[in-house]
Amino acid sequence: MSRILALALIIVSFTVPAIHAQEELQDERILLTFIPNIQFAPFYVGIHDGHFARHGFNVTLEHLQEPEVLDLVAAGHANFGIVSGEQVILARAQARDVVYVFEWFQKYPVGLVVQGHNGLGISEIGELRGRKVGIPGRFGASYSGLTALLHSAGLTESDIELTEIGFHAPDVYCSKVVTAAVVYINNEPLQILNRSLAGECSDLGIPDVFPVADQVDLVSNGLIVHSDMLERESEKIQNMVSAFGQALKSAIENPARAYLASLSFVETLPNDVEFIEAMQQFSMEQAAFLEPLPSREDIAQSRLDLRRQLGQSFDFDILEQFDVLLNSIDLWDAKILGYSELGSWESMLTTLELMGFLDRSEQDLTASFSNQFIAGSSE
Amino acid sequence: MARRGLYIAPTAPEDLGLWWYMPVDAPKAGSGIRVNRSAAPSRWLLYLSPLATILLLLLVWQLITAFGLVSAFLLPPPAQVLDAFAEAVSSGLLAKHTLTTLEEMFFGLLLGIGIGLALGYLIAKVPLLEFILSPIIVAFQSTPIVAYAPLLIIWLGSGVESKIVTTAVIVFFPMLVNTIAGIRTVAPQLQDLMNSLNATPWQTFRHLELPSALPVILAGLRTSATLAVIGAVVGEFVSSGSGLGHLVTLARNLYDTPLVFVSVFTMTFIALSLYGAVALLEWRLLAWRRRSSA
Repeated sequence: MSRILALALIIVSFTVPAIHAQEELQDERILLTFIPNIQFAPFYVGIHDGHFARHGFNVTLEHLQEPEVLDLVAAGHANFGIVSGEQVILARAQARDVVYVFEWFQKYPVGLVVQGHNGLGISEIGELRGRKVGIPGRFGASYSGLTALLHSAGLTESDIELTEIGFHAPDVYCSKVVTAAVVYINNEPLQILNRSLAGECSDLGIPDVFPVADQVDLVSNGLIVHSDMLERESEKIQNMVSAFGQALKSAIENPARAYLASLSFVETLPNDVEFIEAMQQFSMEQAAFLEPLPSREDIAQSRLDLRRQLGQSFDFDILEQFDVLLNSIDLWDAKILGYSELGSWESMLTTLELMGFLDRSEQDLTASFSNQFIAGSSE
Repeated sequence: MARRGLYIAPTAPEDLGLWWYMPVDAPKAGSGIRVNRSAAPSRWLLYLSPLATILLLLLVWQLITAFGLVSAFLLPPPAQVLDAFAEAVSSGLLAKHTLTTLEEMFFGLLLGIGIGLALGYLIAKVPLLEFILSPIIVAFQSTPIVAYAPLLIIWLGSGVESKIVTTAVIVFFPMLVNTIAGIRTVAPQLQDLMNSLNATPWQTFRHLELPSALPVILAGLRTSATLAVIGAVVGEFVSSGSGLGHLVTLARNLYDTPLVFVSVFTMTFIALSLYGAVALLEWRLLAWRRRSSA
C-alpha cells in the first residue's frame, strides 16, 4: 500500500507542471499534427519542466491535420506550428507566407518496411519493381519520402504497384496485402515487430527497414511562423526557439525524464508501477551523469545502456513506446539543434518536382527557412 | 382570364418532392382548396428565385474577396474557382474522380436500398424480427460512420469495395425505416378485403402493399440518395486513391483551395441531382395519387 502511495507521489510530481509566476506568462498555442504521442515528448518536457514558462510562455498544445496547422499560422490565427518541410514549400507556392525557423527532426522520419530476409527476401529498393507497396496517401511526407527513395534506386511510381492504405501500415503489412509499406521509421516498424514477436503478423518475421534518410537528406518537421513575425516579433520567435531548443536538448539527454514528463499528456503510455519506478531511478541517475557535461557520443551511448538495462527487466510491449522515443531521439539529435541546411531544402524541392507538384523556377528556397534564431549557427 | 396559381396538394408536402417539380395549375372546382391568387408569386418568379439566391451569394462572395476581407488563400475569388474548374475539366481530373465517386455511390445505393427494402418488408410483416434486430440496427446506425469507416477499409481493402459498403451502410437505415413505416400504413380493412378475395401474397404485395407504401418508401429513397454522397466521400477521406473525397484531401495537401471548392461543389451538384432525380421519379410513380386526389 505504502509502495503504491509512494508511486502515486512520484507520478504526481512528474505530472503536475512546474509552478511559475503565471501572471507574467503569455498564453501561446502551438499547433501540432497527429495525436498526443510520445513523439512529441520535447513539447511535454518544455511544459512540464518549465522551459516555455522561463521564456515567458504559457503553452497549450493542439493537434490538427498538417494543412490546417499551416493555414492557421498563415492566416495569423496561431503564431507557432509544426509541419514538415515539404508543406512549407508547397504552401509558399500557394501564397501562404510562412517561414520555417527550427528544424526539429534532423533526419527524415519516413522509410519503407519490406518483406526482407524474413519474407520475400527483398534486399534493395530496386527489387520492389512490379511489387505492391502501401502508402497512407499520395500526399505529405510519406509520398515525398517514397518518391525520393524510388528515385535513389532509379525507379518511379509507375514501376511499382502503389496502393493507398491510410495510416494502417502495420495491419496491412501483417496481412501480407502488400510487399512493402511506407512508414514512420521511429514508430510503425516497432508495432510490426511487436506483432511479429506475438505471432500476429502472418508468418512474417522482423521486417527490414529502408530509411529515406539513408539515401537522401530531406527537410523534415520543424517550427513555422508567419513571415511578418520575423521583423515584428523576432523576440517572441527567439524566445520560443530557445525554449523549444532547451526542451528538445533535455529530452535527448534524459529520455527517462522525458517519458515521465509525457505521462500526463499521453493517456495510453504504459504506467506499470515497477516500470515507472525504474524510469524515475534512471532519470535521477542520468541527471547525475549529465552534470560533468559529457559528449554527445557518450550521451548516445548512455541511451543504449539504458535500453539494454530496461530490456533485462521489462517486456517488449511495455517498452514499445519508450523505444519509439529512443528512435525519435536518433532522428532529432544533431550537433546544432534546429539548424536547417539549404541542401536538404534543395533535395526536397527536387523531390516535389519529380512528383509533378511544383516548378523549381518559381521557388525561392532561401525565403522558406531561417537559421537566424538558432544558437551556434553562422547566420 | 383566370391566372394559373400554385397547385397545393391535399397531402403532406414531404410526400410529393420538391416544389419545383410540382405542377403549377389551378385547383379543380370542388377540391376544397382555396388559393390566395393575389399572394401567389408568378411562375417565372418561382423558377428564377433559386437562381437569384445563387447569384446573390456569388455577389457577396465576390465582394468579400474583392475588398480583401478574407485572405485569397482561405477564400479564393469565384473567378479563380471557375478557372480551377475549367482546368480540372480539361485535364480530365474532375471526370476521373467524379466517376469513381459515382461508381461507389451507384453500387452502394443498390446494395443499401436492396437490403433496406428486403429487411424492412420482413420486419414489417414479422414484428418479432423487429425485437430481435432493432438493437443491432439502432446501435449500428447511431454510431457515426467516420468511427468505423477505418475498420471497413482494413477489412475490405482500400479499393472501391470498402466505399461501396460505407455507402450501403449509410443508405440502408432510411430505406429500412421508411419501408417498415410504409408497409405498416396499409389499412387493415383493405388487407381483409384482399384476404376475402383470396389474393395471393404476391397479388397483395403488388396491388395493395406496394402502392400504399410507395410514397413513404420514396421519401426514404430521397434521403438515402443524398446520404450516398456522404457515405462514398467519408470512405474516400479515410483512404483512397481516387474519388472526390480523395481530390479534396489531395487539394488540401497541395494548398490548392480553389480545387477544394471545385470538389465540394461537384459533390453538392451530384447530391442535388440525385435528390431531383428521385423527386422526379416520385412525380412519375405517384401520378395516380394526384389524379385520384384531383
